[in-house]
Amino acid sequence: MLSADLQGSLNLIILRALSRGPNHGFGIAQFVQEGSEGLINVEEGSMYPALHRLERDKLIAGEWKVTGNGRRARYYSLTRTGRKALADAERRWSVLSKGVEKLLGFA
Amino acid sequence: MFGFRRRPRIDDELREEAAHHLEMLIEQARAAGHSETEAAFQARRKFGNTTAIHEEVRAVHVNRILENLLQDVRYSFRSLRTNRSFAITAMLAAAVGIGPTTAVFSAVDRLLFRPLPYAHQDRLVSVGMLAPLDSNEFLFASPYFELRRHRPVFEAVTAFQAGTIPCDLTEQNPVRLRCLRVERTFLEMFGMSPVVGRTFSTGEDAPNGPRAALISYGLWQSRFGSDPGVVGRTLPLDGAAVTIAGVLPAAFEMPTLTRADILLPLALNEATERNGRALRVFARLPEGLSAAQARLQLQPYFAQALEGVPPAFRKEINYQVRSVRDRQLGDVKLVSVALFGSVLGLLLLACANIATLVLARGLGREREMAMRAALGASRLRLASQSLTECMVLALTGGAAGVVLAWVLVRTFAAMAPGALPKLDQASIDWRVLGFALAASIVSGLVFGIVPALRTPKASLIGGGWRSVGSGAGRLRTLLVSLQIAISIMLLTGAGLLLRSLWNMQSAPLGLDAGHVVTARFILGKERYGNDQRQIAFFGELEQRLASVPGAEASAITDSVPPTGGTRGRPLNTIEIEGRARPPEGTGGMAPWRFVSPGYFATLRIPIVRGRGFIEQDREAAMFSMVISDSYARSVFPNEDPIGKRMLRGPKGEWFTVIGVAGDVRNVGLSKKADPEYYVVRKPTPDLTYANQEPPIGWRAATAMVRTPLDPKLTAKAMRDTLAALDPTLPVEIETMRQRVGSQLERPRFNAILLGLFATIGMALAAVGLYGVVSFLVSQRKQEIGVRMALGATPHAIERLILGHAARWTAIGVAFGVIGALLATRALRTLLFGVPARDPWTLAAVVALLAAVAFGAAWVPSRRASRLDPLTTLRDN
Repeated sequence: MLSADLQGSLNLIILRALSRGPNHGFGIAQFVQEGSEGLINVEEGSMYPALHRLERDKLIAGEWKVTGNGRRARYYSLTRTGRKALADAERRWSVLSKGVEKLLGFA
Repeated sequence: MFGFRRRPRIDDELREEAAHHLEMLIEQARAAGHSETEAAFQARRKFGNTTAIHEEVRAVHVNRILENLLQDVRYSFRSLRTNRSFAITAMLAAAVGIGPTTAVFSAVDRLLFRPLPYAHQDRLVSVGMLAPLDSNEFLFASPYFELRRHRPVFEAVTAFQAGTIPCDLTEQNPVRLRCLRVERTFLEMFGMSPVVGRTFSTGEDAPNGPRAALISYGLWQSRFGSDPGVVGRTLPLDGAAVTIAGVLPAAFEMPTLTRADILLPLALNEATERNGRALRVFARLPEGLSAAQARLQLQPYFAQALEGVPPAFRKEINYQVRSVRDRQLGDVKLVSVALFGSVLGLLLLACANIATLVLARGLGREREMAMRAALGASRLRLASQSLTECMVLALTGGAAGVVLAWVLVRTFAAMAPGALPKLDQASIDWRVLGFALAASIVSGLVFGIVPALRTPKASLIGGGWRSVGSGAGRLRTLLVSLQIAISIMLLTGAGLLLRSLWNMQSAPLGLDAGHVVTARFILGKERYGNDQRQIAFFGELEQRLASVPGAEASAITDSVPPTGGTRGRPLNTIEIEGRARPPEGTGGMAPWRFVSPGYFATLRIPIVRGRGFIEQDREAAMFSMVISDSYARSVFPNEDPIGKRMLRGPKGEWFTVIGVAGDVRNVGLSKKADPEYYVVRKPTPDLTYANQEPPIGWRAATAMVRTPLDPKLTAKAMRDTLAALDPTLPVEIETMRQRVGSQLERPRFNAILLGLFATIGMALAAVGLYGVVSFLVSQRKQEIGVRMALGATPHAIERLILGHAARWTAIGVAFGVIGALLATRALRTLLFGVPARDPWTLAAVVALLAAVAFGAAWVPSRRASRLDPLTTLRDN
């Protein structure tokens, strides 16, 4: 299970993954693993509570579709609020990470 | 619910989503060259705990709480159904806890809690002086005028006459009604107004004003068919036409709870009235002032009022200011609080009892719980499940309790309608149901919270040995001790009340109540308006009573023991010839009665010295009196009282003591007798009461006949005798036994109720102890087996188990005795002939409970001693 401070990051990661287009849970997990080059490694199932929470908050919308290989899967896509929330979060994140980098003397 | 998806769909969807995810993971792993089983294993590990994820996703959706609850409730019913004996026992315990609590609540609610039907009810107080012969405060007219004129402290004051006046609706078929005289301001100050018509006008409330009446709702319905045109019509009341001014509301009740059919104007005459009539005075306090503060502030007024009281009486007078509620409660305040307190104790006992059951069941189900925890159920979830189960028990038990309460309330009201004021109105209404619901929920929380907080331990999945000294074990024994302690308290209270009842019943009355029939009546004002008519009636009645079939003796009296009746005199106002007047305020009252010569023979009151009354004593120039034995001893300790002269007549004549009668109970059965004296009824006007209203004096009387015949026949004969004299006269017929018995109505009611609660409590405590000991035995089976294998005799095993039970009982008894000593002090005023800290009652209660506890523990301990060591050791 994910600890609380990671939850916010997980939301951000999911929103980021979906900004490239609608995807299902497995696809998002793949994106996380590949995109972070294996640095972020969580139990993939624990993504679902986050997905459902985001859907409840209307940041993403879910829809059943048939995948390329003919299976039924639930595809999630960003809503307009989701897109805005992602933009906000990315801006905050970059400000924060720049600040932290400066503080730690990497820049 | 808007915006949320329904539960089953979410579950299905999530299952499908997860399945898809897992398939993809498996495919990926297979593609990486893993075997089928290896791939499945890796996929599962990568995905994580499906159950926990399911739970968490469901928790995202808000209507969760409700759904959890529904699920828990459904699960509770299922799991309770599989363990019927547990469920039924717990429900029964809840029912016998909640039932009596609800019943007593319904009986005392109107007295203690429910708002009274008056405006500003919290600020209304009763004001007046407390004097002997009347257990409630009153004021005479002149101090009331003072209060009304200057209105110290109060915002408003009003008054009405103490007691109702019998009044006759004189039509073709005369009807006896209860009339009550109130001041014009009465309805207004209490915030009540007539449903039809108006209240009295100033003119109507003035002396010799136009005659007007307010009629009760009941009279309006029965007599006038709820005709709104009744206002302005006239009623023939005691022979005079009275105009109906209005109709009182259905919910109308006097603040004194006196029942009245008709209200008449009080018509106080400020110019002439001084202390003829006793008034009930009520006042409205200003905001924020308590009755006690008002009483303090009224001290100067009271001091002044006391100056108007004859010096001989002053020591007997107290002034009082109390709330309307306290006034209504009167002497039953303590009883209502005590009864309610004892049922709350019983409820707590029942909760402790169920908690031990739930704990035992919880331990029995530790494996199940541990399993469910391992399968991903959160601790909170398990706790809430257990609490839900308790709620289901409490609510079903509460529902059964309401049925029980209904039966009990019916029984109370039928058994003793006069035991508590307003008891006849007690019913299971919404308010009472609300109370029962609240009591059930609180009980469910109380007995559910403890087991709910216990964490299941994973180590228990495999079973194995446990020790009994665990936290749960200690808690259970504490709960058992608590039950025993409460039982002791309830039993002690019940024991004291029962002993008092026994003392009241068995204390000698001083008379023989068997075979005496009494008839009470009040002569109507119209037919018996003057002394001659009254004297003629009584003369004729006395003749005819003697010829009632089988009559051995008969008499007429103004009052009948064991109550004091209507006349009394401070002892220090009774002069004795040749002695100085006793100093002011030596205190004490002597009740006295006007009796016809047959009185002592009819009641078989022994004449211990001298003689009783004979016809000659009724001659105008004769002033004879009979005094009671204890009075004779206190006034003439070493002299012969016969022939002594004492007590002055209306013109200063001395009365001569002609006889001494045996002591008779005369202040009810719950108090010791007061000294008493008797004066013979003469065919002359009753001067003492000539000017008083209500005109108790001559007009109110009781006729008595002693016959060996069936009381039913005698009752009919007496009714016929009175009807032959005056067919319109309402008569109340009772046997003397019934009269004495009705004095015991309240103490019997209190003792029976407390006895019932104590019995239920003791039974519950015994079941609780039995349960805990049985559980101890089943838990320590292996240990017992080992002991036996090592050579312990069955006897030693029995002693071991009983030893535990004895320790818990002893702890409970110790606390119970302390609690009882503290609590029963409050019962002091209800007791008769037994001290509140009566060691004998306490000893009997402890012995009884010890015996019951021994019985409850003996059965399972016996079972323990018969265990087969081989089987117990092989079992696990």
